Amino acid sequence: MIATLTAAVADAVAPLMPHLVVAPVVIPLVAAAALLAIGEGRRGLLVAGSLAAMAVTLAVALALLAWVDVRGATPVIAVYLPANWDVPFGIVLVADRLSALMLAITAVVAVCALVFAVARWQRAGVYFHPLFQLQVMGINGAFLTADLFNLFVFVEVMLTASYALLLHGSGRARVQAGLHYIAVNLVASALFLLGVAMIYGIAGTLGMADVAQKLPAIPPHDRGLLYAGAALLGVALLAKAAVWPLNFWLVPAYSAAAAPVAAVFVLLTKVGFYAVLRLWTLFLAPQADSTTRFGADVLVLMGLATVVVAALTMIASRNVRRLAALATMMSAGTLVAVLGFGSAELLGGALYYLLGSTLAVATLFLLADLIERAREKGTGATADEGLVAPPPFAFDEQPVASGVNLDDEEAALIGQPIPIALAFLGLAFIVCVLLIAGLPPLAGFLAKFTMLAVLVGHDGAPTSSLGWAVVVVLILSSLVALLVLVRTGIRYFWVPQGRAVPHLAVIECLPIGGLVAGVVCITVAGGPILRYTTAAATHLLDPSAYVQAVAGTKATPGPTQPSRAAGGGTR
Amino acid sequence: MEIPLVLLLPFAGSIVAALLPTHARSAASGFAGIVALATTVLVVRLYPEVHAQGAIEWRQAWLPALGVDFVVRLDGLAWMFSLLVAGIGCLVAFYARYYMSPDDPVPRFFAFLLAFMGAMLGVVTAGNLIQLVFFWEVTSIFSFLLIGYWYHRRDARRGAFMALAVTGGGGLVLLVGMLLLGVAAGSYELDVVLARGAAIREHALYPVILALVLVGAFTKSAQFPFHFWLPRAMAAPTPVSAYLHSATMVKAGVFLLMRLWPALAGTEAWFVAVGGAGAATLLLGAWCAMFQRDLKGLLAYSTISHLGLITLLLGLDSPLAAVAAVFHTMNHATFKSSLFMAAGIIDHETGTRDLTRLHGLFRAMPITGALAIVASAAMAGVPLLNGFLSKEMFFAEAFYLDAHPVIQYALPLIATLAGTFAVVYALRVAYGIFFGAAPDRLPHAPHEPVRWMRVPIELLVFTCIAVGVAPALVIGDLLATAARPVVGGQLPPYDLALWHGFNAPLLMSMLATVGGFLVYRSLGRRLGSAGLDVAPFLPIDGQRSFERTVAGVDRAARALVRRIVTRRLQPQLAWMVVLATAGAALAVAQTGLVWGDRQRVAGTFAVAALWSVGATSAVAAAWLAKFHRFAALVTLGVTGLMVCITFVYFSAPDLALTQLVVECVTVVLFLLGLRWLPKRKLGDASERSPRTRLRRARDLAVAIVAGAGLSTLSYALLTRPAPHSISPFFLDRALPEGGGTNVINVMLVDFRSFDTLGEITVLGAAALTVYALLRRFRPPREAVALPAQQRLSLGEAATDLVAPREEAAALTGYLKVPAVLARLMLPLAVMVAVYLFLRGHNLPGGGFVAGLVVAIAFIMQYLVAGASWIEARLTLNPARWIAVGLLVAVATGAGAWVAGYPFLTTHTAHPEIPLLGRIALPSALFFDVGVFSVVTGSTLLVLLALAHQSIRARRAQAAARDAASPVASTTAVAALPLAVAADRR
Amino acid sequence: MEIVLSAAIGILGASGIWLVLRARTFQVLMGLSLVSYAVNLFLFSMGSLSIGQEPIVTPGIPADLAHYTDPMVQALVLTAIVIGFATTALFLVVLLALRGLADNDHVDGKDEGA
Repeated sequence: MIATLTAAVADAVAPLMPHLVVAPVVIPLVAAAALLAIGEGRRGLLVAGSLAAMAVTLAVALALLAWVDVRGATPVIAVYLPANWDVPFGIVLVADRLSALMLAITAVVAVCALVFAVARWQRAGVYFHPLFQLQVMGINGAFLTADLFNLFVFVEVMLTASYALLLHGSGRARVQAGLHYIAVNLVASALFLLGVAMIYGIAGTLGMADVAQKLPAIPPHDRGLLYAGAALLGVALLAKAAVWPLNFWLVPAYSAAAAPVAAVFVLLTKVGFYAVLRLWTLFLAPQADSTTRFGADVLVLMGLATVVVAALTMIASRNVRRLAALATMMSAGTLVAVLGFGSAELLGGALYYLLGSTLAVATLFLLADLIERAREKGTGATADEGLVAPPPFAFDEQPVASGVNLDDEEAALIGQPIPIALAFLGLAFIVCVLLIAGLPPLAGFLAKFTMLAVLVGHDGAPTSSLGWAVVVVLILSSLVALLVLVRTGIRYFWVPQGRAVPHLAVIECLPIGGLVAGVVCITVAGGPILRYTTAAATHLLDPSAYVQAVAGTKATPGPTQPSRAAGGGTR
Repeated sequence: MEIPLVLLLPFAGSIVAALLPTHARSAASGFAGIVALATTVLVVRLYPEVHAQGAIEWRQAWLPALGVDFVVRLDGLAWMFSLLVAGIGCLVAFYARYYMSPDDPVPRFFAFLLAFMGAMLGVVTAGNLIQLVFFWEVTSIFSFLLIGYWYHRRDARRGAFMALAVTGGGGLVLLVGMLLLGVAAGSYELDVVLARGAAIREHALYPVILALVLVGAFTKSAQFPFHFWLPRAMAAPTPVSAYLHSATMVKAGVFLLMRLWPALAGTEAWFVAVGGAGAATLLLGAWCAMFQRDLKGLLAYSTISHLGLITLLLGLDSPLAAVAAVFHTMNHATFKSSLFMAAGIIDHETGTRDLTRLHGLFRAMPITGALAIVASAAMAGVPLLNGFLSKEMFFAEAFYLDAHPVIQYALPLIATLAGTFAVVYALRVAYGIFFGAAPDRLPHAPHEPVRWMRVPIELLVFTCIAVGVAPALVIGDLLATAARPVVGGQLPPYDLALWHGFNAPLLMSMLATVGGFLVYRSLGRRLGSAGLDVAPFLPIDGQRSFERTVAGVDRAARALVRRIVTRRLQPQLAWMVVLATAGAALAVAQTGLVWGDRQRVAGTFAVAALWSVGATSAVAAAWLAKFHRFAALVTLGVTGLMVCITFVYFSAPDLALTQLVVECVTVVLFLLGLRWLPKRKLGDASERSPRTRLRRARDLAVAIVAGAGLSTLSYALLTRPAPHSISPFFLDRALPEGGGTNVINVMLVDFRSFDTLGEITVLGAAALTVYALLRRFRPPREAVALPAQQRLSLGEAATDLVAPREEAAALTGYLKVPAVLARLMLPLAVMVAVYLFLRGHNLPGGGFVAGLVVAIAFIMQYLVAGASWIEARLTLNPARWIAVGLLVAVATGAGAWVAGYPFLTTHTAHPEIPLLGRIALPSALFFDVGVFSVVTGSTLLVLLALAHQSIRARRAQAAARDAASPVASTTAVAALPLAVAADRR
Repeated sequence: MEIVLSAAIGILGASGIWLVLRARTFQVLMGLSLVSYAVNLFLFSMGSLSIGQEPIVTPGIPADLAHYTDPMVQALVLTAIVIGFATTALFLVVLLALRGLADNDHVDGKDEGA
């Protein structure tokens, strides 16, 4: 059904296709500038413009998705040369299966978050809409670019906008978290720059594909430096991907941010993961020497550590927003952990898992906002319970003496009707729990099952000890996530009396409903999507097609620049 | 196609039921009943096919990536369970109509019930292992929701959570087990797995698989040591207990054991694990059941015990035992669910389930009583009832087993003992409740329920009797069909007769019965009442230890989290630096580090001197930054200057220029900021504490190592010959195609203009953030009060320090000369900017530098003349500048589309302009205009927003003088005029 | 010459990192500025250190790296400087805002013992 929709969109914009690749960057940028020019005064116009821009971005993303997804051995890889200079001299944008997928999920989450923000959050400070657009621009650019330094630039765009959105609404908690978040990211950016510098210093080029091409020719005594550069880059990116021990900033920042902002932030960690995945598969994985093998193990171990820490912290916290942030961390860890194995099927499952968890966690952030609003309205309970909260597992009541289960000593044997609003929230919450914990019948289970099946070696491949470790950790983390979230759900939804029925604006339920619908869609379309992600993973692990596609692209010959027709030039 | 309908109907039904109005009790139950009935009919109609073909299935592609199909597969066993699930589901739905209160929001209840039914059918009809686990977990989820249906009750919440924790966790374990089983069998398809039993038992992973699968089965079927959740689950409404916790869900575990019997059974490990757990559960359950005070508790424990019996039978590794297990499963389902329903009626009509208060009810409710008595007789295994037959089979198996002598003696003993206990708790139900002294102190006066409420029980009890009297006739064929797949297609010889002659099993039965009567006579009514309400001789209490474990895990997690998770900034940054250093070091270490052999550039004294100064000032900045911020700022500036000079020296004029202007703006910025930072006095206590010293030493070490690493890397790279870089291309094309001689600028606006676009976006975004944040800025308390030196100065002295006059006045006063000069500077600066901008494409300069110059010029005006004076005379709207700049830049880029070129492609026009003649007009120029505008706007926005704080602070001071608290005054601070300007447009 | 420059980079980096690890927001700000100096120089040094070879094309001189310094790194450094400037400004303001809200200038918003 999504496929048909995207196909329809694809036909509509067929003539624009070549330029479509740059659209996900340009549209939000133009929108941001226009919204800025409109000024904060005219709220209605702002909202309309912002939503329109997001809708168009979504359409473009889906069109790209439909475009790159052709069944067959050679993938469609859309290469775009801004400023029209030959590879490798100009900057290159590339939309392959992976990029298109990330763009699509970004657009979906962004649209829902924006709609949600329209209800209340947009008014918490100035310039929300322009900055939101810039945020999306940065994310999209990072997913599209195939140039190391340009990646740095777009990551900076993304981060700067995220600083703004995190601080949106100000207040002690946000500013505190913001300071940490910014400091960490500035240091990370410095490392990023160092890494890029070293890679340029050794390879003499910045285009990702070009670097990948030149790597085999690098003399052995230079490789050390190259890997050192890669390591610096890696630390910077892993910090953005929220991998332990570089992720302490995450929970405070994400739980302090305004709900729609937090929902979008879920994508930021995915950008980190995307960059790691892209560079790892392009540069290091193909080398397959002792250093890169070591690197792979390090990735797996760091990922596992992240999942474990996230699970432990989950047990120790009960606030929904904190749990959502921890779920983000958990999925980030899972993704990085399976990245190190270099199996296409596994990676395909992981990408499918990425879709599900992203949607679920984003939903959870939005839900948390509504739930806590309702709760604060009912019982004066405050939303912010940190690690100091009473033990979450030990039940608030003393264990009853055995056998005292006698009805005339208990509450009436009559159920309490659940208000429709609460029922809605409850259902959405259950969906999130099932996805995050990877339980049936939703996509989370299919993804976890796929990954586990590969890890235990259903394709006859012997399982490494690391593989077993991942299996155990995944299962335990699922259990913890399930119990912790359910316990929290019980606390929020199964309150005996004095429940305050939350007043939900339709505009707030709409995005949640949309996200839940999305979850159902990817569950129903599990088979096709898994096929898509597996294909994407296969082409990632064998980057030759990617490299060829980029290297083979020539600039458009032009009247004032005749030699561009000749292409190449000094090389 | 009917097969998939078996699954589809209940799920579809549950969705419909969920949409019914809140109090539509009859409608909801009626609907649920009909759905269940329809499903039952479907199942029944499939019997001939199943009977004939052995197994029928319906297939649908599901996860092609892993070659997993969605297979609904009905063989005898699956069919028998489907019948139980659907049939009893139908009766329960009917029963619940009368059990639930009219005020209950039943649609939710029935929706869950139907969904559960669907999930359960999914489990039993699963055609591959994954599908089985899939529905397995779904049943856990819905049982959780059903147990928690009366969530306002404490015991319901806790029972539901415990059940989910145990069964859900077990399910996850089972998932791994099934995956491994799939690996061992080479496929997830059930047929394949069942066919490859031998290969699986040989497989190296067999012990692991067995363990994992058994954990799954035992948790679900409440087998020792996972039995404790079931009694807690009794907090569910009685129909749920009758359905899930006697007939269906708890049977899923034993179903799994039967299902995989051909694949896994027949090994020592299986015998020990399954048989052992079964025996333990059998005894434990029966023992505990005797001492229950709560009627449902008693039934729960007896269920545990009977499940143990079935498990034990399956563990005995003999086909006949397996048949007996299947048989007992059916029987137990019938008599136990009828008992639960009867318990529900008693509870419903008397208002209590307390066995010490329930007695002599027969007079009040004879029919219910009769039914309950028959059912409990079946439970105790009294002849002429179905329970008797399967129990006899069990006793026979236990007696004629040939195994290790110890077991050979122990097993019959255990069996008889358990039988005795069974008789006792059966008597507590059958005799204890209905006979004895007339009932007193009951919440309600007992009476018969509505006639229809009894119908389901009557049906079930009738079945018990029918099977018990004429087994072969009633059940023989069905049992054979059901048991055949379990024993792998080859049924052992057995006959379902009532009378096998006088033999050991019969003797054991008699012993058990007599023993039971004796025990009941001696203990009788005292059972369950004070002193005997907890089963004695039990070392561990599962429920307690569960909660203790959970709490323990929680405490441990907290303790651990406190160690491994920090919310402080310093450790995070330290981690990052350390990891980066270590990573780089390791990478280099792999290949070893060699210096390059590139021709060194001769060192000059000048540079050495330059950098000795630069380095010193950097260290000085590090040294002074805590206590002498201003000095630190100056030294930082010096360092910046050195960097700048370095750029000049190494032929990077553009960098130098940019660095210089950025330096200026940054310094102004910091100066504006300094004013808000708190005073800091030298040497406070914390300075000297050893902890601080240690931390300092550590940080110093980290810094030095990292710095050393940095210089090593840079030296290593500096000494290498320049890589065959792509740069010559740019030098080559800059003039002919970029239309400019200044390669740097051409790169910024043409080759890599996409970077520049992002760069100015960052600048704009940062500026907007700064502004947005500062609108909410709350000046710190002591910063609001007058600075010390002002407070110290004589109050009367006519100085502006004490009584600051309007800036306007200041301009005519002590600031006159600077003001004039500054105003002169403005046009000059603008001119310089224009010059820099225009030459940018060919010589150092360009939009960025020009923008900063203009910004600096404006700032100068602000500095001398003061914000309000300026804004009275010219309205700047920096936000607008940013917007326009971005739009211009993008528009220039998009212009290329018109000509059919990619975004940002440049084009040089050569228009004739009067006086100037034919000039080269690259489109890049307009892009640079955009850059210029954004840079000016952003810089102004940041600096002005910061500058305005002093105005607001002054207002705050005023407010403070008016004896309002500073905090309050901050709220009084209006948004800056700038903000107004921004918002108006 | 290379020695001098790389030493300089090292010292700038070290003092920057030292400051970044301190507990006062202003120190961290200073540290970040120093670190960005170091990084910019590092990036700059990736090109060849060449004197009097500005990348400004003059007719007659062959356009190769023997006669011109590497323009690429300069362009990158330029972008890096600007971005660094923007983020530094941002950090300064956040620092001030926190100082206003927390009434002290500790990076964790609470004074010693945090």
